[in-house]
Amino acid sequence: MIGAFNLKKYFPVRGGVVGTQYLKAVDNVTLTVRRGEVVGVVGESGSGKSTLGRMLIRLLEPTGGEILFDAPEEEMVKYREALESGDKESAEMISRKYSLLRKKGSELRKLRTRMSMVFQDPYSSLDPRFRILDVIMEPMISTGYLRGEEARKKALDLLEEVGLPRAFGNRYPHELSGGQRQRVAIARALSTDPELVILDEPTSALDVSVQAQILNLLKEFRRRKNITMVLITHNIAVVSYMADRVAVMYSGRLMEIGDKDDVLTRPKHPYTMALISSVPRPRPGEARKRIVLKGDPPNLLSPPRGCVFHPRCPMAFHECGWTAEEVAEDINYLVQGKYYNVFGDNVKVIPLQDKVKVEGANPESIKKVLEVERENIRSLTAVKEVTEDSLLIIHAFQEPKLYKESERRSVSCLLYR
Amino acid sequence: MEERTEEGKYSNLILSLKVFFSNRTAVAGMVIFLAYVVDALIMQFDPRLLGVTNPNQFTYNFVNPVPQPPSSQYPLGTTYPGINLLQAILEAIRVDLGYSMLIVVGGAVIGAVVGILAAYVGGYLDELLMRFTDIFFSVPYLVLAIAVGFALGRSFTSMVIALIIVWWPIYARYTRSLTLSIKESVFVEAAKAAGASMVRIMFKHILPNTLPPVVVQISLDLGSVVGVFATLAFIGFIPNANTPELGYLASLGLNYVQSAPWTVIFPGLAITLFALSVNLMGDGLRDVIDPRRRS
Repeated sequence: MIGAFNLKKYFPVRGGVVGTQYLKAVDNVTLTVRRGEVVGVVGESGSGKSTLGRMLIRLLEPTGGEILFDAPEEEMVKYREALESGDKESAEMISRKYSLLRKKGSELRKLRTRMSMVFQDPYSSLDPRFRILDVIMEPMISTGYLRGEEARKKALDLLEEVGLPRAFGNRYPHELSGGQRQRVAIARALSTDPELVILDEPTSALDVSVQAQILNLLKEFRRRKNITMVLITHNIAVVSYMADRVAVMYSGRLMEIGDKDDVLTRPKHPYTMALISSVPRPRPGEARKRIVLKGDPPNLLSPPRGCVFHPRCPMAFHECGWTAEEVAEDINYLVQGKYYNVFGDNVKVIPLQDKVKVEGANPESIKKVLEVERENIRSLTAVKEVTEDSLLIIHAFQEPKLYKESERRSVSCLLYR
Repeated sequence: MEERTEEGKYSNLILSLKVFFSNRTAVAGMVIFLAYVVDALIMQFDPRLLGVTNPNQFTYNFVNPVPQPPSSQYPLGTTYPGINLLQAILEAIRVDLGYSMLIVVGGAVIGAVVGILAAYVGGYLDELLMRFTDIFFSVPYLVLAIAVGFALGRSFTSMVIALIIVWWPIYARYTRSLTLSIKESVFVEAAKAAGASMVRIMFKHILPNTLPPVVVQISLDLGSVVGVFATLAFIGFIPNANTPELGYLASLGLNYVQSAPWTVIFPGLAITLFALSVNLMGDGLRDVIDPRRRS
């Protein structure tokens, strides 16, 4: 149905001493959605999932990459292979045919009838000066899908379908409750009978009791109209209830994608494991093996090199992208703290290019410390060797790609190379 | 069900009225403003009700041109040349009110379009339009109005045009700032996702949402425009010497101001009272649209 290939969105951040920097909200995300499928996109705040959703229906222009809309499965596969093998010609041919990004003006407007979006906050997504009926009619009228009396009739029918009385058509949004407004937003999204609906956290602004109603409503529509959905959420429970497949995002990148049950019960990526372990389970008494991540999500202006998750990853190893700064910081922490007795006052840890210089320390004792602490402090695994003059050489790193773990499962982690 | 809907429909209006009427000075302002409006309407449609035969000109009395103090025959006295001040003020209110409305609304419409265009389209157009408004801002308004009026000639039309040119930049800045915040709202994004065109978003979504604060601004401005309009008439921009206009009326008594101060005081008072009333009313309206003041 829709496929995003190496999709990127960099927001320019101006000012400051360093000049214009780019915030990498979405970086190299590849995701294909089959017709009739519900794909859940999960991730914490700031992981780029909303940005991804907005790019999929062209509310935001991607900085790079390609989106194919309404392309048959084989073509998508072909396009992906062409990209991987560097076959520009056939890639160009496919993208010319299906590219969503090349559509302009009236062509794009026509496509807008085939895809729509439900926004997170129903309190701000409805124009306060529009009557409910006008809100629902808007997509039909602005795309020319239906006009006048026909559009009106359809809007009233839709009101009924989403479980609201027809009389609500003459009300204004502020007269409705949150759940009712979200129903209106869903009616608006469905008014042009789209094949693809992007749901951007459709329930997170609602009361728990209302959330279930909205989800059931969406499920019902999906069953009846065979609508393809991209469900963006941070709520694992919502995904497990609604989705067929799950994509996990972290810091603008795709970490893992696969069938819902597979991903939720057997997470492969260390980040997914931590994410899933954070979900409370209704089993009293059962011990929960919760993986608590240390640190914060990375700064998107200068994300960690290699795998973006490596500084927080409990399973990270030498190739994950450790920098001299990261290693130096951890060593400094050990030298100044836990091993102060061994090293004393005169030790200086200086990060260099892919090396860390430890001044005033005996290489043998450094080696010993590394040996002991390696299991706890993952950055130390990146030290390849310690030279005679206490120079710590850092391993070369590798950029992770999406590795096919099984037929329908891909993981972006070097563990699954 | 039907009944509930009706109730819901008007609850917002009722709340607005409650907020407005709880502010006594605003109500007083509105009463005075309505009195002016009623007077203007009577003068327009049936001046005989107030004993005026021709509201388009002053009734001179050259038999006794020297200003008379207020008496039972002339409640506000007379001004040179023998004009009944009360009657003259009642006539002049129509002209002042009408032209002020025209100026403010005209300025607001132009300003709103410029402001929305600048903010929504952004980029170079925004730069261009806003620097253009800055130029108009940088010239003192009275000087600009006199210059434009001088260039266009002495007529009411040129006076109105001159003042609209003076007045639109405020509205351009105001709607621009409002648009900048509204255009980031989710419902605008939703309209984009629905395939709405730029023009539709600007004028169907953004414009109605900027309207309430702009209306308040209009009501506040009405007072100052009357003052400026009267000022221009006072210094002689009036095309026809026999036009009932408050500023011109005040200027008629200028030579007698020491011996007959009422000739200047009463027309001036009419202007001041109007400015005061619309300002009070505008403050009340501001409370109505400010969500923090309504609870």
